[in-house]
Amino acid sequence: MKKSEPLESWERPIPLSLLFMVALAVHLPLLLMKLPLQSYDTNFHIFFSSHYVDHWFDPWNTKWFAGFSQATYPPMPHYWIAVLSRIMGLDLAYMAVQMIAILLLVVGVYRFSLLWVRPRAASIAALASIFLGSESFLIYNAGQLPTTTAAPLYLIALPFLYEWLRHGHGRPFIKATVLFIAAAAGHHLTLLFGSFIFALPVVGLALLDRRDGESTSASLILGRAIAIVSAVSVIIGVVLLPFWLSLLHHPIDQTTIPHASRANFILSPEWGLNYFILPYGALILAVPFIFIRGSSETRLRPLLFGFWVTFILGLGGTTPLGHWLLGHAFEVLTMERFSYWAGLLALPFVGLLSVKLIDRFRFWAVGSLAVMAVWTCAMGVAWGTYRITNARDVNVNVVADWLNRGGHDQYRYFTLGFGNSISRLAVMTDASSVDGEWYTGRLLPELTRYGGASLTQAKYFGTAGLESLRAIMMHADKYGLKWIFSNDPYYDPLLSLAGWRPVDYLDNKTITVWAKDGVPPAMPVNVAQRPPRWQGLIWGTLPFGSSILAILVFLIPERRRKQTRAEYPMSEDEVETQRVAS
Amino acid sequence: MKKGGLLALSLAIATVALIVIGCVWPVQAALPFIIQKPLLTSSSTPEAAVQVLGQEIQAHNWAKAYEAFANKAQFTEPEFELDLTGYTTNLRTYSTLDHFKAWPLHASADEADIRLELDWATVVGTSVMTRDLHVVRTGDHWNVNWPLTKQPIVPPQVIPVNYLRWDVIYRGAGDDWGAQDVNAPSVRIIDMHPVQRADGVVVMGELLNDDVVPAYVSMSAILQAKDKSPIAKEEAFDKISHVLLPKQITPFLIQFPDVRLSQVDSIDMKPFSILVPASADPVIAIDNEKFNPSPNASLTGQLINQSGQVVNVAHVLGTLYDKSGQLVWVVDQYVDSALLPQTPVAFNIQIPDDIAKKVSTERTVVATFSFGGLL
Repeated sequence: MKKSEPLESWERPIPLSLLFMVALAVHLPLLLMKLPLQSYDTNFHIFFSSHYVDHWFDPWNTKWFAGFSQATYPPMPHYWIAVLSRIMGLDLAYMAVQMIAILLLVVGVYRFSLLWVRPRAASIAALASIFLGSESFLIYNAGQLPTTTAAPLYLIALPFLYEWLRHGHGRPFIKATVLFIAAAAGHHLTLLFGSFIFALPVVGLALLDRRDGESTSASLILGRAIAIVSAVSVIIGVVLLPFWLSLLHHPIDQTTIPHASRANFILSPEWGLNYFILPYGALILAVPFIFIRGSSETRLRPLLFGFWVTFILGLGGTTPLGHWLLGHAFEVLTMERFSYWAGLLALPFVGLLSVKLIDRFRFWAVGSLAVMAVWTCAMGVAWGTYRITNARDVNVNVVADWLNRGGHDQYRYFTLGFGNSISRLAVMTDASSVDGEWYTGRLLPELTRYGGASLTQAKYFGTAGLESLRAIMMHADKYGLKWIFSNDPYYDPLLSLAGWRPVDYLDNKTITVWAKDGVPPAMPVNVAQRPPRWQGLIWGTLPFGSSILAILVFLIPERRRKQTRAEYPMSEDEVETQRVAS
Repeated sequence: MKKGGLLALSLAIATVALIVIGCVWPVQAALPFIIQKPLLTSSSTPEAAVQVLGQEIQAHNWAKAYEAFANKAQFTEPEFELDLTGYTTNLRTYSTLDHFKAWPLHASADEADIRLELDWATVVGTSVMTRDLHVVRTGDHWNVNWPLTKQPIVPPQVIPVNYLRWDVIYRGAGDDWGAQDVNAPSVRIIDMHPVQRADGVVVMGELLNDDVVPAYVSMSAILQAKDKSPIAKEEAFDKISHVLLPKQITPFLIQFPDVRLSQVDSIDMKPFSILVPASADPVIAIDNEKFNPSPNASLTGQLINQSGQVVNVAHVLGTLYDKSGQLVWVVDQYVDSALLPQTPVAFNIQIPDDIAKKVSTERTVVATFSFGGLL
């Protein structure tokens, strides 16, 4: 060892407690301000949670699409919101779950980074995760709570996977399995794609490390990988059984809905700004380092490959790789989650780079990195202010009041020009709508046939959206559809000439209530698709239970290591070569 | 090369290559978002010049489209924009260009004529606009002469308003619309019969407001099998004029896609009527109404707004009869120009050739919509 004197403070890993405090200092005020409410999907997840508040064991929700099954979306975060809402209300419960996910990400990134780099670099990677642009983007603009909840669980599980592959102990096997299942109960796509993106590099790493310390054969590692994949698959098959059955009965064969995350970011630069520049932010500057360092260190190559594939997929339609690799799934998935995952995979490299810069430039490096990190995070948070994602001005309270009085909720309704506010409206009224925001859950042929998204934004989907709107209006009698709330005069000619008449004005005449006479009260539809009671019991028990189990299992203490890792006197710019799980 | 350098270089090259492929041959999912000109497109041929123009219009890039015109000195950019979107609010004002097609009519070394068809996605369906463009060569590229349609100028005038109007007094402010506690206006189906078409069954007919008060009407039908079980239920939607003044008649047409007439034993017609406030204004006269027989059979004419207020959207419903006065078909068309007072606007509704052979006479009614005239 070259040094024997005490380490300078910047040469030591940042304690987790300090990292938590930074995470709370950055995100807690933003969440208490309820900033995510302005995002695309936050209200949608709150809507799902609101259903579980009153119908814990019944995933059938009649408030959207004249009836749909919430078993089409893994429910774990929704159930947690439902539980916490008893104490603090739905909005704050959402924020609380999101805050927990942010804290879990700090732990997850730290643990995952420890597989690849030394603790000091890993702790800086964990610090960077707090400021990750794509994390801020998903929380404050996209509102993708399940994605941001499942990824940390997955990252926390990966070191246990590594330990199981290397050493084959039962404890890491159980821990990894339970955490994978909890992650799947939070977000199915994270598990499906995370298996390839996150787990394969870890398997690759285990293979590379197999001769270090306790030697393990490649076939044994692969056998263990198959064993854990089999166990996790079977258990997830049971835990999310209603989800798989729903998928089996109603495969996603709807006409594809265009999504800008699949755009070509060079030919459509405004979407490049939205889905590339903002999510990555200053991380873009680290990409050359990731390529060079990831290539030069054999041990980092699995991580480099994982990052590269995810990075390219995150570019959406800028490259044809997503179309080639994912096939039809490319037309269905939104690709911004790949940028998020690529950002997470890049963080160990960011830790390495930061260590290198700090060791060389000291305070200048710290200052510059801090500015870039804060700027990246701030832009991810603030983007929704500059590029408004929601019809924020719509006063849904008056619409809910109108629906909730005088028996108006005996009939179905939908809105025009309300943007994402339809989720908020659905939380506030018991009336049933034929519209909704969870397109995979749609069963009405008028909605699935044309390639439009929600009816409320029909005009933005051109002929497809407007055809869908006309089709549902034509069948108003069949669905008991009597009310249309329009916040956009664009639709007035169609409504008027198709026989709908304005009957009331709300909110200072900004919202017109249109009605169709002669419509019978709404009757249940799609009843045959309603999940049976036993599926409701599984749905209300196992996914939420898996997260409780994950908490309990995670609290089981680790085995004592033979080597203590209290001192890290070597240069932090070296990659760890003997790795342990925690 | 240094250890790993080759790998880093390979990944970098692969990244660039994938991006280049993605830009030159964009994937299908990326196409709806491309508003920039494709990298390989230029105005090097007459067709390419028109394609570029179509893309600029699709992107609402009026300035770029205008700059490329050969005859831009003859009009301003705002005039060009209003020529496409309407000088007065109409169907196309808020529409988007769904797609466009162009095909050559004539070409020489220095000039060409190309027909451009613009299919606008309007709130009531697709609106097709066709313009014949003269394209001229300028050096190594081609420029379009845009055939601008000038805004009609309405002379200052006073129009006396003496139309009939019916108001309805409701029970109170808490009343819901429709809960009137009065008898519904009497309406009567005066003609109805089903027809088998290639895409299903069509039920058409005429409905008369037999009352002395105006009526909001709608019409639905249930096709029944021999055992009286319902096969399908549909409604006329916008293939009917929903507000009928006393003694007024509207045609209706109800489509049942994917149903065979041979399956149908009976039809349960469900006319619906309710008392509504209404007025005879705006009065739309139909001038030069004419049935043009095959080939290219059509119903043509001109709408003249005889009132003082602008009609933003007009919907023409034509009823076609055979020699014996039997109804043989109902056609309709949305007029994509606003109806200014005293200003004729042409309509031209295509009629299927097989039906045109039977047509002897026709009758036309017009339903209208004006922004701001709702309650």
